[in-house]
Amino acid sequence: MDFITWATGPWGRSIPIHIAWSLMWWAVIAGLGFMIVHALYVIIVAPPKKFAKFEKGVESANAGAIPERVQRHSLAARAFHWIMAVSMFTLLFTAFLPKVGVHFNWVLYHWIAGCVLTVSIVFHIIHASFYMDFWSIWPDRTDLRDASRRVLRFFGKPAPPPSRFAKYPLENKFYHGVIMLAALAVAVTGLFMMKRVETIFFTRNPYLFSDMTWGLMYVLHGLAGVGLIALVMVHVYMGIRPEKLPITKSMIFGWMSRDFYLEEHDPERWAVKGSSPSQEKRGYAASDAD
Amino acid sequence: MAVIRDVMPAFDLLQPGSVAEAAKLLDQYREDAWVMAGGMDSLDWLKDRIKKPKVLVDLSGIDELKGIRQTSKGLEIGSMTTLTEIAEHPLVRKDFGLLAEAVSLVASPQIRNQATIGGNVSQDARCWYYRAGWPCYRAGGNICYADTPVGRNREHAIFGAERCVAVNPSDSAPALIVLDAEFIIRSSTDHRGVTAEDYFIGPKTDITRMHSLRPGELLTAIRIPYTWAGTKFYFEKVRDRNVWDFPLMNVASAMELTGGNIQRIRLAVNAVAARPMRLGNVEAAVRGKPANAATGEMAGKMAVQGAIPLQFNAYKIPLMRNLVKRAIVGASPRQAENALARDPGVQEAAWTS
Amino acid sequence: MAGMSAIELQKAESETPRPFGAGYKLIGKDYSTNDLVAKVTGKAKYAEDFRAEGMLFCRLVLSPMPHARVKRINAEKALAMPGVRGILTPADVPGHADYVNDNGTTIKANRWGELALTDEPMYQGEPILAVAAVDELTAANAIEQIEIEMEPLPFTTDPLESLRPGSSNARLDGNVWIPPQPGQHGGPQLTVLKWTEEDFAPYKEGRLPMGHAPEEWSYGDIDAGFKNAALVLDETFLTPDVSHQCLEPRTTMAHWQNGKLYLYTGTQSTFQTVPAIARWMQMDEDKVVFISEYTGGGFGSKITGALTLVVPALLSKKLNAPVMMRISREEEQFIGRARPGIRARVKTGFAKDGRITAVDMFLVSDAGSYGSNGDGGACGSITSLLYQPPAMRWRNITVATNTPPRSAQSAPGGMQAIAIMEPILAKAARKLGIDQVALRRVNSPEGKAEYGPPNHEGKRARVTSCYLKQALDYGAKQFNWQERVANKPKQIGTKVRGLGVALSTYHGGSTGFDGLIVITPEGRVRIHSGIGNLGTEALIDVHRAAAEVLDIPWDSVDIVWGDTSKHLPYTCHSGGSQTVHAMTRAAHAVGLECRQRLQEVAAKSLGGQPGDYEVANLRVSRKGGGAGMSFAQAAQHAIKLGGIYDGHDVNPDVNKATKQAVTAMAGQGLIASARDKFPHNGDSFSYLACFAEVEADVETGVYRIVDYLAYADVGTVVHPAALGGQVLGRSTLGIAHAIGQKWVIDPQYGVMVAMRFYQNKPPTILDVPVNMKWNALNIPDPETPVGARGCGEPPVGGGCASILNALADALGDNIFQRAPVNCDTILTSYEAGRPMQEPLVAHI
Repeated sequence: MDFITWATGPWGRSIPIHIAWSLMWWAVIAGLGFMIVHALYVIIVAPPKKFAKFEKGVESANAGAIPERVQRHSLAARAFHWIMAVSMFTLLFTAFLPKVGVHFNWVLYHWIAGCVLTVSIVFHIIHASFYMDFWSIWPDRTDLRDASRRVLRFFGKPAPPPSRFAKYPLENKFYHGVIMLAALAVAVTGLFMMKRVETIFFTRNPYLFSDMTWGLMYVLHGLAGVGLIALVMVHVYMGIRPEKLPITKSMIFGWMSRDFYLEEHDPERWAVKGSSPSQEKRGYAASDAD
Repeated sequence: MAVIRDVMPAFDLLQPGSVAEAAKLLDQYREDAWVMAGGMDSLDWLKDRIKKPKVLVDLSGIDELKGIRQTSKGLEIGSMTTLTEIAEHPLVRKDFGLLAEAVSLVASPQIRNQATIGGNVSQDARCWYYRAGWPCYRAGGNICYADTPVGRNREHAIFGAERCVAVNPSDSAPALIVLDAEFIIRSSTDHRGVTAEDYFIGPKTDITRMHSLRPGELLTAIRIPYTWAGTKFYFEKVRDRNVWDFPLMNVASAMELTGGNIQRIRLAVNAVAARPMRLGNVEAAVRGKPANAATGEMAGKMAVQGAIPLQFNAYKIPLMRNLVKRAIVGASPRQAENALARDPGVQEAAWTS
Repeated sequence: MAGMSAIELQKAESETPRPFGAGYKLIGKDYSTNDLVAKVTGKAKYAEDFRAEGMLFCRLVLSPMPHARVKRINAEKALAMPGVRGILTPADVPGHADYVNDNGTTIKANRWGELALTDEPMYQGEPILAVAAVDELTAANAIEQIEIEMEPLPFTTDPLESLRPGSSNARLDGNVWIPPQPGQHGGPQLTVLKWTEEDFAPYKEGRLPMGHAPEEWSYGDIDAGFKNAALVLDETFLTPDVSHQCLEPRTTMAHWQNGKLYLYTGTQSTFQTVPAIARWMQMDEDKVVFISEYTGGGFGSKITGALTLVVPALLSKKLNAPVMMRISREEEQFIGRARPGIRARVKTGFAKDGRITAVDMFLVSDAGSYGSNGDGGACGSITSLLYQPPAMRWRNITVATNTPPRSAQSAPGGMQAIAIMEPILAKAARKLGIDQVALRRVNSPEGKAEYGPPNHEGKRARVTSCYLKQALDYGAKQFNWQERVANKPKQIGTKVRGLGVALSTYHGGSTGFDGLIVITPEGRVRIHSGIGNLGTEALIDVHRAAAEVLDIPWDSVDIVWGDTSKHLPYTCHSGGSQTVHAMTRAAHAVGLECRQRLQEVAAKSLGGQPGDYEVANLRVSRKGGGAGMSFAQAAQHAIKLGGIYDGHDVNPDVNKATKQAVTAMAGQGLIASARDKFPHNGDSFSYLACFAEVEADVETGVYRIVDYLAYADVGTVVHPAALGGQVLGRSTLGIAHAIGQKWVIDPQYGVMVAMRFYQNKPPTILDVPVNMKWNALNIPDPETPVGARGCGEPPVGGGCASILNALADALGDNIFQRAPVNCDTILTSYEAGRPMQEPLVAHI
């Protein structure tokens, strides 16, 4: 199977022009495959969640201080998420519908959505870097320790139970990392690609880079694009899974229930307002993270 | 791998005798088939080895696709009817002189004898980058070589140039749009009719095609209703050479006047965009107005609103403005000059003093 | 005119047109040439029509890049394909070598020279290898299986861009051709030359920058000329690069037999092509048999065939089978040669009466990818001849570009000179309020006019004769110039009319070639001709001069041509409009020689002195009646006499090739050979006055040529119909430069994009007026025995410039600064009131 579509350039040389569009179907298959495997895993083999007990006193000492509605996502963060989601869906549909024979003026909508996505990504980077707990989305040592404990326990090996999650479970953090890479790849390549079409921003100049560089850029854009098909499918799937609904709801309403919070999260690792002595250190902003 | 042009690659030549047979073959071979009408466009592609179909479906043996028939509603022209036959046909000349004139300005007499109306409306873009086999948008790539800081784009589009800036090169297209023709399309399972306007598509719809035929479909006939028969027609083609040249631009109009006022009008221009442009807003604006210079100038200015020139085709804006004006008010001493320039026939040249 | 006596001048002015053929039985009369029936019936065999047993076909692989190095060729897969017989690579092609020319001079190898196949292609479309197979389809399929790894090298397609500081050079070792320095051998040398940013300042205003130019000459006091001028114009103009587009591409077939190469291709000289083939193949001339019966046009691009002819010759040798190489129209576009475009800036001073006081000409010539060219030089010479400026400076820089190679094209340099200068004269006439014809009359050369740069003795060359003023006068009369000017309507509707006149000239002949006649024992007169049959009819026409001397009916003459195994005499090549002049001289000479030998044979056989006999009607008869003999009898007697009469001895004057031809035929009949030794002290040029009327539509920019007349001063008219064909045909070639033929090159990739005729737009028959007219003075040239000069090239410039001038007359002086002029230029400039087209960007 060819992953890349090649063409003969003006100088008679083979140049990559884009990915093979069949990869789009492979991405869909991969997304569906993940869902099926995950669903089966949850139903059949997943061991019940077992977290380490809270350290002594935490529950009793702080439970009362934790509000009924734990603030998880600020309005700005939620707005970003949904704007990004809308632009991402627009981008995916405008990119791939024409490839399956649905013809419309896709480029215009695609680049507009791309601009929206790019602006929101830039906003997010600034927001997350300076106004939120930047590190909350990156795996820390505890995450890695707990991951290895979970794996050992899954295979029946002796290991202490993992601790509860910080603001985000490790899978969530990995997902964020991967989608961040994919989104940055499409955004950066997409911005350059706008030099090739008529937009309100630039004078067209396809000779900014060599044929080969452009070709590879289109391939990267395409690979990241089909990657996003699978990633978005997985994301949506996770968003509608019953056990994850509280998280999804929190992306809509901004909060999750105290019960869910205490069930899944470790106030030591993710302190919410008035819940922890470390509140001063991390502050309310910690809840602001996406 | 090395590139070579000008040697036609081998293919299986299939010569169906009926539309049904042709449709079946197209259904059978789908993307592997190349449909050839008169061959005037196809042979270039094949000789240059840019298109290498497995089978060539030659429609020239299908008699039911040929000829001009009168119906109660108008004329039906088989898609394999030659341009010469259309140009000379008494019924076309009587009621639809616009089309006769448009097709008589296509290419050269030799080409018109071979070229068909179906081929003329379905032909591909003549952008020299695309025709050279470069991997541009229209060829499935992601670049337009004509619209670059140094691109050679004298003959290219002034409208709709977001990506591909090739233009539709057909002379008959604007005439058929103006005459409100219906294009009859058949496949092995279906048949449908589309308006002339909708037959032609731009890059927004599909950047790799100029018409709305889907794989497996055949254009079988063009029906021209009597709606515009006998109205005042205007057709003008501007080209570099007096024969054997594609239009730099052409314009077609049909107009009904009452007391010097425009009762109804249809107006189309080609070679300014990837699809022939019907100027609906201009039609609406001039309706009810006198067919005079003031209206013509207003129409011309309106027609070019939104046009964006490329580096070497700015002339297309005044040209379109003036052609649209003429399509309403007519060009001054036109008939005699055109007759001379276009069709001198075989005359004895004064090759000796 | 300086240097002419009053009597000479008066004589020149008193000459009037003469009826064609006056005083002759054959010359000046129309007739059907001996090759005509074959041409019109399709029996004529062009190179592509030849076939041989077991013949293979080869196809070329062309460089897709404008400048590159071929790093690796892998043809394994291709060679393994059934039907594929072999491949020819640059390594198989003989390299550059010294050679000895006609005159015995050794010409050093040119290291910048072109080879038939190359591993450093200098332009897109340059052949890099060839594949032979049983048919073309197999060869093409094989080529698509060949892997060629190429490394792109720096390139340039615009000569001006290559002069900018820091820009790319067309070749790794330079960008500008300079004349050999004193003491240096060989031709032009390549060097690196860049101008400064300051030099380029005028570019932004659409004026040609004028940095350092390595070539320069001048005469007269140009400063004084400008000082005394009533009007000084400083104009920039760009002429187009135009491919030759011969109807027959340079297709070649070759086979070997007994160590001899048999080669079939089109050429402008059957005779002169053999040394070229031998040189390119690095083999002996006597091992080459060259067959070229018919050629579909050359126009300077096939003077000695085409370099690519070695490809089938070498493949045929390598594969031991005949090989046919058909050249497609697309390949012809690349390898078929072209006229170089010239960017010019000319400062011209005019006195109140329109007389030019000084010309300061600065040229940037595009040399293309191989070698320099003489177009810039000819541009200067022709300007100095045609307008007789009393003071002139000429500067030129010839810049290499990675575009297809240029070569001479009908009126090389002359066509550009006239296209550049004529619009300036037209503008001056309008500014000075002088009639266009009158302004040209006051500037036109006459009599033995001087031209070109002064030589090392400070003297300038002279022409043989010039009656251009008469051509202008009679032409204006025939064209009804004055009436047309007086009655020109201002504007009818959207149509404006314009009138244009242009002078035109080009070289019209050379001297010193041989004629060869055999009178057979059957009484036929067989004339051997080494001229190429490229459609001008000169091949046949010139020999009418010999028949005229012998006073024989034309149907008794057989012409032998087109095959070097048929013993051809030393002959000029049909370039530079030499043939009619050079070969009527040779024919006249051999006619006289033949007559002399006939008289001698008669005297030896029948008694008396040779002078007692006269030759007419295929008989040698005693003057005043009495004994005589037929040509058949004379031939039989000549064979008996032997020696000089039947070719066992050869006229010592003739070239060695002619001697070989005579010797080879010794004993076949009465054989006469002779060399043109007729005196002359001027250079032959032909002249025309060209008139045109155009009608332009200011709303569309479309224009049509309403009328055209070319009035020629070509000396004696030899064959009116053929001359008419030349005058109007070549006028049309000139018109092509004015109305549309061009190159379009994408500078990003250095690749040509207008490849098909519908894209590069050579004119069609419907683009010129139905009633184009021509006429000729028919005043014999005093320095050549028949009085005839060539006329292939002279009309080209006039054809182009008369249209340009008519357009400017119709639309104003501010419309165009370059040719061709099309509706786009006209429409935008007319609306803006100033030239709107990119004035100096190449190949748009």
